[in-house]
Amino acid sequence: MRRCTDRADLYAHSSQNRMGYRTHEHILVCLSSAPSNEKIIRTAVRMASAFRCGLTALFVETKEFQRISQTDKERLQNNIHLAQQLGASFETIYGDDIAYQIAEFSRLSGVTKIVLGQSGISHRMPFRKPYLTDRLIKLIPELDIHIIPDNGTNDRFAAKHREIIRLPTLSILDLLKIALLLVLATVIGFLFYHLGFTEANIITLYILGVMLVSISTKSSVCSFIASLASVLTFNLFFTEPRFSLHAYDSGYPVTFFVMFLASLLTGSLASKLKSHAKRSAQVAWRTKLLLETNQNLQKARTQEEIISVTAKQLLKIFQRDIIAYRIQEEKPVMPEIFLANSTASPERYISEKEREVVQWVITNNERAGAGTENLSDSCCTYLSIRTGKQIYGVVGIASSDKPLDSFETSILLSVLGESALALENQKNLEEKEAAAVLAKNEQLRADLLRSISHDLRTPLTSISGNASNLLSNGDLFDAQTKKQMYTDIYDDAMWLINLVENLLSVSRLEKGRMNLHISTELIDEVVAEALRHINRKSSEYRLHVQNSEEYLLAQIDAKLIVQVIINIVDNAIKYTPAGSEIDIKWKQKGNYIYISIADNGPGISNQAKPHIFDMFYSASNQIADSRRSMGLGLALCKSIVNAHGGEIMVADNLPHGSIFTFSIPTREVELHE
Amino acid sequence: MNKPLILVVEDDTPVRNLITTTLKAHKYRFLTAANGELAILEASSHNPEIILLDLGLPDMDGVEVIHKVRSWSNMPIIVISARSEDTDKIDALDAGADDYLTKPFSVEELLARLRVTQRRLSALQIGSMNTDAVFTNGKLKVDYAAGCAFLDNQELHLTPSEYKLLCLLCKNVGKVLTHTFITRQIWGRSWENDVASLRVFMATLRKKLEKEPGSPQYIQTHIGIGYRMMRVES
Repeated sequence: MRRCTDRADLYAHSSQNRMGYRTHEHILVCLSSAPSNEKIIRTAVRMASAFRCGLTALFVETKEFQRISQTDKERLQNNIHLAQQLGASFETIYGDDIAYQIAEFSRLSGVTKIVLGQSGISHRMPFRKPYLTDRLIKLIPELDIHIIPDNGTNDRFAAKHREIIRLPTLSILDLLKIALLLVLATVIGFLFYHLGFTEANIITLYILGVMLVSISTKSSVCSFIASLASVLTFNLFFTEPRFSLHAYDSGYPVTFFVMFLASLLTGSLASKLKSHAKRSAQVAWRTKLLLETNQNLQKARTQEEIISVTAKQLLKIFQRDIIAYRIQEEKPVMPEIFLANSTASPERYISEKEREVVQWVITNNERAGAGTENLSDSCCTYLSIRTGKQIYGVVGIASSDKPLDSFETSILLSVLGESALALENQKNLEEKEAAAVLAKNEQLRADLLRSISHDLRTPLTSISGNASNLLSNGDLFDAQTKKQMYTDIYDDAMWLINLVENLLSVSRLEKGRMNLHISTELIDEVVAEALRHINRKSSEYRLHVQNSEEYLLAQIDAKLIVQVIINIVDNAIKYTPAGSEIDIKWKQKGNYIYISIADNGPGISNQAKPHIFDMFYSASNQIADSRRSMGLGLALCKSIVNAHGGEIMVADNLPHGSIFTFSIPTREVELHE
Repeated sequence: MNKPLILVVEDDTPVRNLITTTLKAHKYRFLTAANGELAILEASSHNPEIILLDLGLPDMDGVEVIHKVRSWSNMPIIVISARSEDTDKIDALDAGADDYLTKPFSVEELLARLRVTQRRLSALQIGSMNTDAVFTNGKLKVDYAAGCAFLDNQELHLTPSEYKLLCLLCKNVGKVLTHTFITRQIWGRSWENDVASLRVFMATLRKKLEKEPGSPQYIQTHIGIGYRMMRVES
């Protein structure tokens, strides 16, 4: 049997999985700085909306990226921006092997379709590397790859690329470094020569020099120049005839050539190593930052906290002033400002104009402010914290002379993305909690109705029955019986009145604290008022009320607190034998007044104590007429006292009986004479 | 004492029957009206001495009826309201009603209110003759001209605020005065702090006035509404 269910479970699970695989399409679009990329993005967006699925825009940053022209960088930024605006989430990954990076990313993030552009086949040259798509297909054969052909626009793009190759220039500093290292190598070479070491050692020395050059300089041309120069100096100083560029030995040209190649290769390898190290350091830093952001965000509980954590993190990363706005009903609320330099004045960030820019960001769901095409005359760049169309907040970053580079932008976007996710989670959680509270209230209401309809019937039966008896055969009863019947009718009606009063209080409490009519009341008056409404059996009990010298004022909803006292005193009357003593006292402690109502009845058992304030709990098995206890009274008292910010508790009275104590906030008053 | 003519304005028949039966049993003369319009008509044509007015009328707001009646007459009005109309009650008192009853009320309560109002009526009739310098109520005597008050012929030592409060209550004897009304009369404004001070002054005044603070004889407290000076038979 059990195995059977297990198998059914497993089946359901696996079939669900398979279904999930099919239904959860996720499209990945690859971004580039190509002008035609815009078309690709739009196509991908159309596909995503047709499939009703998520869309991720991916940019693979290679080391060539550092060298592309400013216009290309701008175009890339625009493309990223466009993708985000159309609802895609943006990711950047780093690596030289684009195909491999795309494949890895797709596999990890559950992408099902890839959209990318490719220029026409006619451009293909025999020695070109295999196309990106060919490699992708090889790496991830299970994914659909949609290729959008690039044409026309690409020629211009290619021309730009050729232009770039000429770009690298030499700086004076680099040339000096080359010269210094060569001189050093030559000096040590002379030393070796005099010590009688072979030429091979000197050649190795030069290669080492070239390697050092390529590590310490920026341009890749340097290692080429250095290689060439070392071959020439070697020829000049160390080959026969020395101090001339001639070489007698017929083997030398080969030696020179091999030496040149060796030094060139070493040099370029070294520079590659260097750029790798730099990029992996950047990636590590970025990962660390994002991890830290993530951890901090997880600790944040409220919307305010999340946004303030985000802003603090951005401040730490960029060292610029950060302005964070929360959004309520499509309007920005008072911002939190984090200054990089605490002495600076935040005035300029909260002007009316800045606020308008923020409002624009919210309305258009697009970034604006300094450094963007929209409202660029403000002093900050404003970006929204959002998931899809839902905006949770706006973050402003103070502009400075240096605009954010693409690495910084990508970090900024990642942090904002993390923040948006945290906000979304928080919002979902809140909604879930609200739903749970609603469900609980619903449950309470249902319980209440059930309990009431049951409890109403009994007294109503007695009232209507007695009344109809008196109506139809009133003459048949003697005076004594009639009086008994009238008393019953009266008692039951009074009980109903009390019930209705309690229910009214419940309904007022349910509407929340806003519904309390708080006023300043004298405790003596409140207690006196309550005692006028208690059960008329109270004459059989000995009631003592404290006669205080000082006047204690409380900040309360008088009607409700009167109800609390009535309920507790009525309970005392109900659960104690006639003739018991009931003591009402109060005293002030700190900001609260503690009112205690003590009786010397049988007391409350320890098992019952934790439950007496629960709704619908009643210690009814102890008393005969259990129908009279609905278990509403004390629960209501607790709700009322809690709504006032006080607490209610029960303790044992000595030698027997119980003491109910509750606290209500006090108020000091200045007297105007 | 001559039983006054009472106008009962109540749209709910069972409650109206309850009131009229009670009145009949205690030999009061009465008229009835089931809505506001009829009430104003009856009040103007028969000139009753007391009006019992339900606030929740089908055709108009009870407070409106009070305003209309007050435009020509000073006859005592006792409003009857359900508990949910708590603020209406205060509005009605501020509009000029003299007293109030909250549903559900007991027959004894109704009769007690009527007796209070009757005493107030007779006091008014005497008072109109002598709007004089000395007010007496049971053992309490206030000499407005001399600016001092006596209880059992012993002078009461009152602070200025207490004295002002006492005068205000005495001048409106039998009538429920709302907190707002009292604070406006004494301080010219009704801030939260004034209402709080009022509580304290009232408590100290009462301490000097009442022999038994637990069951006050002169000043009655209406929690959440206001205070009233009771007419005490000497």
